Amino acid sequence: MRRTSLALIFLVLATSTLTAQGRGGQAGPQTARTAAPIDMTGYWVAIISEDWRWRMITPSRGDFPSIPINLAAQKLAEAWDAARDEAAGEQCKAYGAPGLMRGPTRLHITWLDDSTLKLETDYGMQTRLFEFGAASRGSAKPSWQGTSVAQWVMAGGGRGGRGAAGSARYGSMKSITTNLRPGYLRKNGVPYSEKTSFTEYWDLLTETNGDQYLVDTNVVNDPVYLQLPWMTAIHFKKEKDGSKWNPEPCDARF
Amino acid sequence: MDRSPLVFLITLACTVIGASVPASAQVDLTGSYQTRMYEDYIERGPGEFMGNYTGMPLTDDGRAKALLYTSNLPSTYERQCLPQSAGVFQYRPVGFRIWSEMAEDGSVLAWVIGGDNLRNDIRIWMDGRPHPSPNALHLAGGFATGKWEGDTLTARVTHLKTAWIRRGVGIPASDLTTITMHLTRREDLLTITTIQEDPYYLSEPHVVSRVWQWNPRGTEADRPICNTANEIPSLEDTGAVPHYLPGQNPEEDYMIRTFNVPKEAAMGYAETLYPEYRKKLKSIYKLPADCIARAPGYCCGWIETQGRPGGAPNLTCNDGGFGTLGPRGRRTATEK
Repeated sequence: MRRTSLALIFLVLATSTLTAQGRGGQAGPQTARTAAPIDMTGYWVAIISEDWRWRMITPSRGDFPSIPINLAAQKLAEAWDAARDEAAGEQCKAYGAPGLMRGPTRLHITWLDDSTLKLETDYGMQTRLFEFGAASRGSAKPSWQGTSVAQWVMAGGGRGGRGAAGSARYGSMKSITTNLRPGYLRKNGVPYSEKTSFTEYWDLLTETNGDQYLVDTNVVNDPVYLQLPWMTAIHFKKEKDGSKWNPEPCDARF
Repeated sequence: MDRSPLVFLITLACTVIGASVPASAQVDLTGSYQTRMYEDYIERGPGEFMGNYTGMPLTDDGRAKALLYTSNLPSTYERQCLPQSAGVFQYRPVGFRIWSEMAEDGSVLAWVIGGDNLRNDIRIWMDGRPHPSPNALHLAGGFATGKWEGDTLTARVTHLKTAWIRRGVGIPASDLTTITMHLTRREDLLTITTIQEDPYYLSEPHVVSRVWQWNPRGTEADRPICNTANEIPSLEDTGAVPHYLPGQNPEEDYMIRTFNVPKEAAMGYAETLYPEYRKKLKSIYKLPADCIARAPGYCCGWIETQGRPGGAPNLTCNDGGFGTLGPRGRRTATEK
């Protein structure tokens, strides 16, 4: 009897706390969609203001500064052959999640259902699903976009000064992607392995003029081909609609 | 009485509650942060190629001014510290430090960013004070005010001095430049996104996002501020300003010659920053020769950790003209 009572107290405490974490303490169960502290949906365009030569065009073989590869990766990258990839039906190797996000792409983000955020790219026509909660619809078979498990990270105001959070809601999305099919971090054959995990932190920034940027801070961990985790931040600007959406299939050469 | 279930449940409840409460007032930016040159490595590491303005949205004026630049220009007293300005730290190869200044009541009066990257610290006032008159003193660190938006510190920087945006290629920033900075720390990573605007030299905002890593040793931030010194004796007291005349910069076509980059992309036209520009590129871009066989042109394996714990041995680096670099970027007698 006592144990049952304690268990009930625990459940009440836990449930009320989790609920309050969402929309300012609304009653009732929350879904990932209703609990979202930021709205990532819409069309976004990558601004290629960094690493232009490696992101906008395919660099030459062996041109792989800034990625902390090891010797095994260097050997593979120096043997990169786009024609061979095409012949093997592997023209999407540079469009796996860790490589794709640095690509010259637009994103279209929508809710597939209350617990799944869908990210589509026109560059390579890829689709990745961010799944909140324990349930995963990802297949056991590794794929270019892998299996992405997501969670909201609620935020408070930081230390010092005015303009702290107040009644506004803030937060970010954290996602971890695994179950990846081996691919390329850069179009010219810099490899990542099937053991890669891809962690991302998604922040929404709103400027005083109304412009919005989605910043994807990400860390690629690959025990097979990287000496160190590869960390970058990629920014996308919100577009008013999908009028510039331009789906193109994977291309191993350009 | 068996107390273990009670202890277990209380502990579990506390854990859930603690993990679920929003992380209000817990973000402390204080610390030293180390650069991770995983983006724009050439600019931040060995130095940019002359005439490379890719990724920049320049106006015609900005482009024209950049093309006047020579490598001797920053050797003049007046210009030696122009690369050390508020916007340029995103392109610097070393780290910085952030600390807070406290008001008498114990609240944070200002967050301060300082280090090698600056002539003046960037002092982000958090007490709600207004920006001064446009005619007030301009500093390399500018005048900055900030506010928290959730766990992100957003600062607006005005009153900046004339500067260069990137290192070593002369892309100019006027003293009417403004910069919006967003700083978000999570665990040991700090993401800084800067949105730079300039009515003279930028045709649209220049956006840069970088990741920095907290460094408890703080060694990278222990650099002095910029000091001027005479680097070219023959220039001293002459009043001469090294430059190229319009249309005479021999490096204007460097990116075309070396990487087959179209001139409009190398020269920083805004349209080249967006995916749709690839439609134009596709018909004209030819893959350059393999990096290992090409010179000049810097392309390289990863050398940062060579010779250090965790570094993989035997990676090599084609430095684009000086030979093949070995561990830690140094040539040895046994290397070609």
